[in-house]
Amino acid sequence: MSEKDGKGALEGQGKPVPGAPTNAPGSTGVEPPPPGPQKAPPKNPGFVTCTIDGKEVAARPGTNMIEAALRAGSDIPYYCYHPRLSIAANCRMCLVEVSSSPKLVPACQTPLSEGLAVKTNTGAVKDSQRSVLEFILLNHPVDCAICDQAGECKLQDYYARYDFMPARAGGPKILKEKRKVLGPMVVLDQERCILCTRCVRFMSEVAKEPQLGMFGRGSAERIDIFPGAELDSNYSGNTVDICPVGALLNRDFRFRARAWFLSEAPSICTGCSRGCNIFVDFFGQETHRYRPRENEQVNKSWMCDQGRLSYKYVNKERVHTPQLGRGSDAREATGAEALAFAARKLKAFFQRPELAVLASPVASNEDLLACLAFARDALGAKAVYVGGRPEGQADELLMTADKNPNRTGLTWIAGGLGLKLQPFSNLLEGLKNGSLQAVYAIGAELPVDIASTTDALKKADLLVVQATNHGPLTALADALLPACTHVEGEGSFANVDRIIQRFRPAYPPIGESQPHWAWASHLFRELGLTDAYGSARDVFRKLAVEVKELSNFDWDKAAPPAQPVPGLQPAPAGADGRPPGYREWGTPRVRGT
Amino acid sequence: MAKPSIPSQGPADAQLIPADSELEAHLPTKRMELNLGPSHPAMHGTVRMRVELDGETIARADPEIGFLHRGFQKSCENVTWTQCLPYTDRLNYVSALMNNFGFLNAVEKLIGLEIPDRAKFIRTIGSEIHRISDHLTCVGAIGLELGGMSAFLYCIEARELLVDRVTELTGARLTTTFGRVGGLNRDLPAGWLESVLKTLEKVEALTAEVETLLTNNRIFVDRMKGTGLITAQDALDFGFTGPCLRACGINYDVRKTKPYWIYDRINFDVPIARNGDNFDRYLMRIEEIKQSSRIVHQAIELIKPGPVIVDDWRISLPPKPEVYGTIEGVMAHFKLIMEGIQVPAGEIYDSTEAANGELGWYLVSDGSGRPYKVHVRAPGFAILSGISRMVEGRLLGDLIPTFDTINMIGGEVEQ
Amino acid sequence: MSTFALDKVATTFPRALLDRYLDRSGAEWGIVDAEAIRNVASELKDNPELDFKLFLSIDAVDRLMLPEREPRFEVVYFLYSLKRGEHVRLKCRVPEDNPELPSISPVYQGANWFERFVWDFYGIRFRGHPDLRRILMYEEFRGHPLRKDYPLRQRQPLVPERPIQDIFRGPGTNRP
Repeated sequence: MSEKDGKGALEGQGKPVPGAPTNAPGSTGVEPPPPGPQKAPPKNPGFVTCTIDGKEVAARPGTNMIEAALRAGSDIPYYCYHPRLSIAANCRMCLVEVSSSPKLVPACQTPLSEGLAVKTNTGAVKDSQRSVLEFILLNHPVDCAICDQAGECKLQDYYARYDFMPARAGGPKILKEKRKVLGPMVVLDQERCILCTRCVRFMSEVAKEPQLGMFGRGSAERIDIFPGAELDSNYSGNTVDICPVGALLNRDFRFRARAWFLSEAPSICTGCSRGCNIFVDFFGQETHRYRPRENEQVNKSWMCDQGRLSYKYVNKERVHTPQLGRGSDAREATGAEALAFAARKLKAFFQRPELAVLASPVASNEDLLACLAFARDALGAKAVYVGGRPEGQADELLMTADKNPNRTGLTWIAGGLGLKLQPFSNLLEGLKNGSLQAVYAIGAELPVDIASTTDALKKADLLVVQATNHGPLTALADALLPACTHVEGEGSFANVDRIIQRFRPAYPPIGESQPHWAWASHLFRELGLTDAYGSARDVFRKLAVEVKELSNFDWDKAAPPAQPVPGLQPAPAGADGRPPGYREWGTPRVRGT
Repeated sequence: MAKPSIPSQGPADAQLIPADSELEAHLPTKRMELNLGPSHPAMHGTVRMRVELDGETIARADPEIGFLHRGFQKSCENVTWTQCLPYTDRLNYVSALMNNFGFLNAVEKLIGLEIPDRAKFIRTIGSEIHRISDHLTCVGAIGLELGGMSAFLYCIEARELLVDRVTELTGARLTTTFGRVGGLNRDLPAGWLESVLKTLEKVEALTAEVETLLTNNRIFVDRMKGTGLITAQDALDFGFTGPCLRACGINYDVRKTKPYWIYDRINFDVPIARNGDNFDRYLMRIEEIKQSSRIVHQAIELIKPGPVIVDDWRISLPPKPEVYGTIEGVMAHFKLIMEGIQVPAGEIYDSTEAANGELGWYLVSDGSGRPYKVHVRAPGFAILSGISRMVEGRLLGDLIPTFDTINMIGGEVEQ
Repeated sequence: MSTFALDKVATTFPRALLDRYLDRSGAEWGIVDAEAIRNVASELKDNPELDFKLFLSIDAVDRLMLPEREPRFEVVYFLYSLKRGEHVRLKCRVPEDNPELPSISPVYQGANWFERFVWDFYGIRFRGHPDLRRILMYEEFRGHPLRKDYPLRQRQPLVPERPIQDIFRGPGTNRP
């Protein structure tokens, strides 16, 4: 009786009645009901074991049923579900049969419980999928011929798989706003929208700028921006990616190319130093757009608008052929001529302090390794000046202020090879006061205002430039060697978080351009030295040992898979990267050559 | 009229007249290598025969093919299933409908699809018309290359009448691309069946005339009987099928052993010969023309109106009003054209009886809308491989009729 | 379809028949060990109960793009027995690094050209073949075209003319 202290007077006079209030301290006043019959302990402790279509799946608690089904090999269609957004369960495409409910339940919203039996291919489920699709298509405009999303449209894909029936209800469709410009990047077609609210959820949860909303009720529901507002977020392009239909479309890409003609290559965005993983969509030898690639560490499934638009420099104003001569003397030359000239002139500056090496952090690790090794060994340089694109804005999510993809890489490589890093202003100083007379530039991006640099650069006696695009530096170059961008070559970048990422080439280099490391290899040969690199892999293998941070990087393993994802196969490309027929770009091939 | 003057045989020419022993002496000959080059009127479809002659006897005959190889398999692997059809036309270009329908038959078996009855009838009629066409070309070519141009003209006239019918049906004379997975793309034109019957009357009359020209023709029989012999054993070993195998006495016809379409519902005979020589192969073709005509007559009697293609939008294109008017129609149309018919992953070997033999198709699908592999077992390939056996040791003059009677069509041999 | 034939093969050569399966149309396929194919073919041809005398076809499949891609090549054989009215379909799997298997041309003469076709287009060698050379492509062709890693639009180098002793090329071109 006295074992329990501090209890009330009624204590010890019998067992407490279940459910009756007690005065025990800390109690809320109501005792919980006694535990029912003991549940069997979970089959795999720590996991939730359930059966999906007869296959046993052990998933971590919290796994969405759709993901678990994918791993089990069962396909559940869905529109509004997105693994990185909140669950809305409003499309009703993912309805499945489960053992815990007589009705069909949405798979995205139903949590997996121990011993649950899920069936995704019964007659009731198939019927439901077909009916839901029929309802969605009731008011969908007949736009496939003019809709950009044709070829990558989930409506088309699911129609072909789950509902292949003709339309049953005729009659007019509900008319809403078409071609409504929402912002600088996005245009909306309200009739095509299936009201899955992925875009609304994305803008409010991920981009944290709730600029989109759902307005109206019933058949008049539509996605729209608030009156007077704009969809001007830096992440508005992602709504285009996640929109399963052609309602939200990329204004920059609109009507440029059909999705099934585009091939894709996994690459890294060079818009800023975040290094978001992307797919480069290209046709022939022209890049048409960037799309984000999933990478849990770096960019999840998103990328910013500024990066999306940063593909344009790959197509525009590229240097196609080597050039010799400055200003009005400029003439096109063959590679051999330009190399011979550059080598001869650079040889005169061997180990002289008047030679400056200007490296741009837009070049890849392999480019920088080979070219800076050339600068150190063949030219005897001791310092490297850092060029690159000028700084811009940063935001809280992905975009960094540094608009160069590989500044980290440049810092590491310069350190590893024993070259001192100098800011660009020192280069301009040196040119102005005459202490620097020759510049060997790897990449022609300049971080400062053009007008102030042109005078200084004109003073230089020798400008050997390896550049991808025409610019103020290339206009003044004595020897201009065309370089190729990350889209046409293989390599790696090191991003702002010191993660090294590999990228694969999309198409062969255009015109006569070659990667920076190939030019370095040729220059080595011209100067009579024997260093030669056959591929980017070669460069990395031979030179990365000198750079501490790169020496542990497994170059081959880190490459993204080259095998294309299943789905609409693009028109097959030949060995030269050009697809057959359609329209041949560029000069016609002469027979026999 | 001046008589040609014989040069006087005076003492000055005494040494020029060879002595008797020299006249009897064995001429030192060497083997001559003759090249019946790829460009040769008798080498149907560019085949090169390197023939080593010992006098007039063929010591060795070595066919070299590959001049017409157009990359059929590789092209098919890069286009959708329906887009393979034009490639199949150009295999056996003389009887394109049989190639088309044979391929479609195999694809439908791979999907597990049953085509409508009317489609089966029309496919049979089309195949048999083209079989007659093929045999007429063969018989005509035999006549032509042995010197009897008239037989060729009659056969080609008959063939032209049939080609007219086929043009009315499909739109093209030779490369028909008729039929789609699941049936046919178009129904018969009005009045076509009656005009086919009339045409067949004319064709039979012309065939009878060709028979009177050739079958009992002494020269023809002498050149064809006993030449180009092959034993049944060898024929089976080489892979002969069709009229060439049946000429050796083996009763093997895919239409009888594994009936497809409507061949189990109609009566027809399969001619078999005994000797396996050129004459028998010629007779086979004449007889088969008659039997094919019989099949077409029965099919025309039994055919009934109905749909010509399955009504499933995963396989056949939706009708145009739906494509332009409803979203489902345009989506189905889009998916079928751009991605192709999604044939479930798997493989199949299926064969039909083409004019020259068993046309086998080995198809491998990887589940997408494009074939993974399309292997066509061309009957002519196997038969051509046996030609050296048929002509070696015989006279050069037997080479041409042998080459004709095996009816090697370059397109199917070299894909 | 030809279950009996494969049963017999399985009992006569127990280690040769590695697997059997049905394809979607109900036809039976047998996977045969590559080295044993000649014996299996002999047995199929010579055994009077089986009597697979009609040789139909040989071809190969490059499985590089299929989910199951090892071993890379699959050589398929099709034979027919008139007595039994049955087809038999056999497969031999051959790896990429050593694509070789015994030829069955000593057994079936028709296999000669079909095996040359497989060599020409896939690069699979047949040991014991009397004359293994390219059949449809020209001799100087580089590569094996039907392999999946051979691009559709691959260009070939121009080859010099062969020094063929031709008959006559016109006046003044008489060569020894």
